[in-house]
Amino acid sequence: MEFPDLDELQWLEANQPDEDYPLEFELLEEIEEVSVEKHNYEKEDELFESQEEDEQQPLRSPPLQQSQSQIPSINEKKRPRSQFENDDSNNNNNEVDEDNRGRVRVSTIDTDQDNEKLLSRYAHDIEGSCVPITAPSASGLLSESVSVLLHNAEQDAMLKALQASSEVQSTAISSETLVMTEELWVNKYAPRSFTELLSTEQTNREVLSWLKQWDATVFSNGIKNTGDEVLSALRRHSSLSSHQKHSGATFPGKSGGPRYAGKYMGNLHVSEKENDMAKGSDGLPNKMQSASGTPDQKVLLLCGPPGLGKTTLAHVAAKHCGYHVVEINASDDRSSSTIETKILDAVQMNSIMAHSKPKCLVIDEIDGALGDGKGAIDVILKMVAAGKKSDVGNEASTKEQFGRKSLNKGRKAVSLSRPVICICNDLYAPALRPLRNVAKVHMFSQPTLNRVVNRLKHICNKEGMKTSSIALTALAEYTECDIRSCLNSLQFLHKKKESLNLVAISSQVIGRKDMTRSIFDVWKEVFHKKKMKQSRNCDVSPRKPCDTYDSLYSLVSNRGDYELIFDGIHENFLQLHYHDPLLLKTVNCLNALGVSDLFHQCVMRSHNMSLFGYLPFITITIHQLLARVETPTIEWPKSFHRYRSALMEKMEKLRSWQSKIAPCISRHLSVNSFVEDTISPLLDILSPADLRPVAAQLLSEKEKHDLAQLISTMVSYSLTYKNTKVDSLANNSMLEGIVDVSLSLDPLISEFVNFKGYKAGHYELKSAVKKVLMYEIEKQKIVQESISRSMRSIHNSQDTNAAKDEENGIPKSSKMFDSASDFSNNGTKKNLLQKEVCKGKFQKSLGFAGSSADAVKLKSTGDVKKPCFASFNFFDRFKKVTRKGCQDVDSSKEKLAGAEKDGHRLLFKFNEGFTNAVKRPVRIREFLS
Amino acid sequence: MGPIQVKCSCGEDNCKEWAIIELQGVVEPQSQQPHLNLQNLRIGLLCRPSSQETYTLTIGYHELTGSKVTLKKPLLVLKKLKHYDEDESTSSKLSPSKVELDVIGIIRQKILFKTRPRALITSTKKV
Repeated sequence: MEFPDLDELQWLEANQPDEDYPLEFELLEEIEEVSVEKHNYEKEDELFESQEEDEQQPLRSPPLQQSQSQIPSINEKKRPRSQFENDDSNNNNNEVDEDNRGRVRVSTIDTDQDNEKLLSRYAHDIEGSCVPITAPSASGLLSESVSVLLHNAEQDAMLKALQASSEVQSTAISSETLVMTEELWVNKYAPRSFTELLSTEQTNREVLSWLKQWDATVFSNGIKNTGDEVLSALRRHSSLSSHQKHSGATFPGKSGGPRYAGKYMGNLHVSEKENDMAKGSDGLPNKMQSASGTPDQKVLLLCGPPGLGKTTLAHVAAKHCGYHVVEINASDDRSSSTIETKILDAVQMNSIMAHSKPKCLVIDEIDGALGDGKGAIDVILKMVAAGKKSDVGNEASTKEQFGRKSLNKGRKAVSLSRPVICICNDLYAPALRPLRNVAKVHMFSQPTLNRVVNRLKHICNKEGMKTSSIALTALAEYTECDIRSCLNSLQFLHKKKESLNLVAISSQVIGRKDMTRSIFDVWKEVFHKKKMKQSRNCDVSPRKPCDTYDSLYSLVSNRGDYELIFDGIHENFLQLHYHDPLLLKTVNCLNALGVSDLFHQCVMRSHNMSLFGYLPFITITIHQLLARVETPTIEWPKSFHRYRSALMEKMEKLRSWQSKIAPCISRHLSVNSFVEDTISPLLDILSPADLRPVAAQLLSEKEKHDLAQLISTMVSYSLTYKNTKVDSLANNSMLEGIVDVSLSLDPLISEFVNFKGYKAGHYELKSAVKKVLMYEIEKQKIVQESISRSMRSIHNSQDTNAAKDEENGIPKSSKMFDSASDFSNNGTKKNLLQKEVCKGKFQKSLGFAGSSADAVKLKSTGDVKKPCFASFNFFDRFKKVTRKGCQDVDSSKEKLAGAEKDGHRLLFKFNEGFTNAVKRPVRIREFLS
Repeated sequence: MGPIQVKCSCGEDNCKEWAIIELQGVVEPQSQQPHLNLQNLRIGLLCRPSSQETYTLTIGYHELTGSKVTLKKPLLVLKKLKHYDEDESTSSKLSPSKVELDVIGIIRQKILFKTRPRALITSTKKV
């Protein structure tokens, strides 16, 4: 619809009584409206204004709605306030009306609503004298009938409305529709500018400074220079948490970034000296930050109880910084596919409209996002991760500003380039855990009671509601400064023409909200004793302790997460400063916790959930014992999970180690007995004190023997030494302070028996010894492995030959084993000699065996067997006698390698293909022929 | 000659499926033992280490890696049965009167090892 501007209106007003004023096309519908209302007034011509006002209210509402949807976004900010003024005037009695009208007309010139109001007022001023204008003229004065003209005009208006709405389409704000005739006070008095915000100054500033950090990327050309000074100033302010108000209370909320910067500087001229000083310290991080373009944490997570104005803060701050707010709410479709496109739209696209501002995404109630809604979090995380990657890449690649700019453009296709503000109530919702790590988290604290009450009083005054500040204080206190619920209850009362009284509040008729208390609140409630407030004491009969017990009971049982609650109590209660010289309270408290544990165990065993009903009482006991007036600092209980995961990890380690040990040993090691009984002695055995750190050749016979024994033990327990970084907890750190890398047991079995403050009693081996040991163990392992492998091959060949042997009537295998055992019995002889002997014996036995036709073949297997058996026994000997020391291992190993080679009787020869061969089809029969 | 009649004893669907192993190269006995009896010797170990269609064949100290290929035209595995007529058994022993071909399997796929084999060298080996 089109409305005439002020001049026309005034002109209209002046000429209205004349019946023959020229009808113009643009004015037509407006005249029509006038006429509608005139019809109305015709009937009740002589009524008083006040009555008419009442009548007018419902009548006016439809055009109001219509006009609202059409108002371009520029007018948005002024509208509600002006409307409030109008409502104000409505509610006041009629003697002020004249005055008000004048004021309204002057103050809100270009708002369309007021135009309408003017019209209507004007219409009733005329009082029916103009009735004939439209009605008779419909046939007489106009060439076309009014209905046709109206239709045309309506269509024009529709077109314009469509255009307008396409411009403001995505604003979530414009969708605050007026379903009722009266706007909610919450919306009506919502802060429109930064200075009106009710939340604490510090939070506001921090949010704002975070948003300003984006300036460099978002408004890349215009205001790159604003960044440093403003930011440092902001930071300074938020760190000082000064309550100094802005001098300029008239920040236009819609001011764009560039303009804003200038004004802000103006306002902060007081602290400019501080700025200069601050630059010294703050300048460096600022520059680093601005060099990389975007702030370190790209997502802001605001959390706090409902109704404190988180969403409002996000909106106002974003608008203040010149952003266009795009809100995604819980009511929107939040499946991951739609959310992704939505976020990408908001964050990456620059809208093509010339005047459009960059967008700022506000995701409200992100913690409520479960299932499908998790998509939002995932998408954001992905984008943040992408951004980080590209940032790192950029910093590595170039240092020039220009190079970086272009790179940014190219690479950040997926990364986040617009600020994203997420809002949640419960910071510790499991869905938010990943987001918490990457986002800048802001806990929203309650605004001070004073501010809330002042604001409430202000609003009540404006609405003409009579209240006392005591009642308002009580209300605010009761709702825990939830200004939304305060306002709603006030409005509710106002509508019912009731006044706010203390009884209503205390009897919990009003102001009640369904509270979902976080687990932290529960803990706090348990540890915190409420101060007996005077207001409380006077209105009701003094709150008995049982009253608080009641509330605590309901709180705990509503929360229901008993295991976690008691976990938190258990971890935190020792940090409290309660007076307990004889530790009686502590003991009692621990007893109570023990009882809760018993209950819990019982419930878990028998699934008798009804027992859970008794658990809240234990919290009351604890509350009685420990509650203090001062607010406790409560931490999330981590130790239970930490220790449990540590336990699992160690068990896993132990198990995997056990599986590596030969089964003949590991089957005797149960986990418990192993940890409790075996490990410490084993550690002692593994670190004999009398091993000299010299080369193996220089050791005496006895030492060699010891070494061999140690090695065999370690191999059979599949232990070895490994290079590890020295950390302060490791045992060997005291020996090797200088060397960074030290050797430690590979499955670090000392860890299984280690605990805080425990010092291992066993001797610590020198690192040189460890190195020798490591080397020897490796050798030993390889040897054993190849032995077992050749053993396997022998068995295979035995199997294949078994049939033939049986045919020959020679129990070959038994013979062979005889010889082997024979061989091993010759323990006392010298090694070389023994080898020869055994060779002879072997060949003898083979001679028996190989009497048949396949003698050749058996010989070959014999060849295989001989060295392995020899070496096998050789190592047995090595353990017992240790004649030869370590050098012999090498020679035997070479032999083994040779044996292995002999083991393969078929080899594969690879034919290199020729590419220059002529390809032609070949028939199968050519191959077969 | 007309089409050869082929008898399939196992039915159409449950013919045994065979597979060809195609090697780019030759499997040969070790040179030191020329008189080795090749019968019943294990050539190598064919295994599929993962769920993919890749196979490894270990022959001696070589490991070959190959993949399964579907043949364009399936092959039949036939067994030739020679029937001697009782009446002419004395006269024509060399030329059997009736030759029967029996299908004992069908080959649709082959495992092709065409890459250069990897040598399996034990870590103990010292040269």
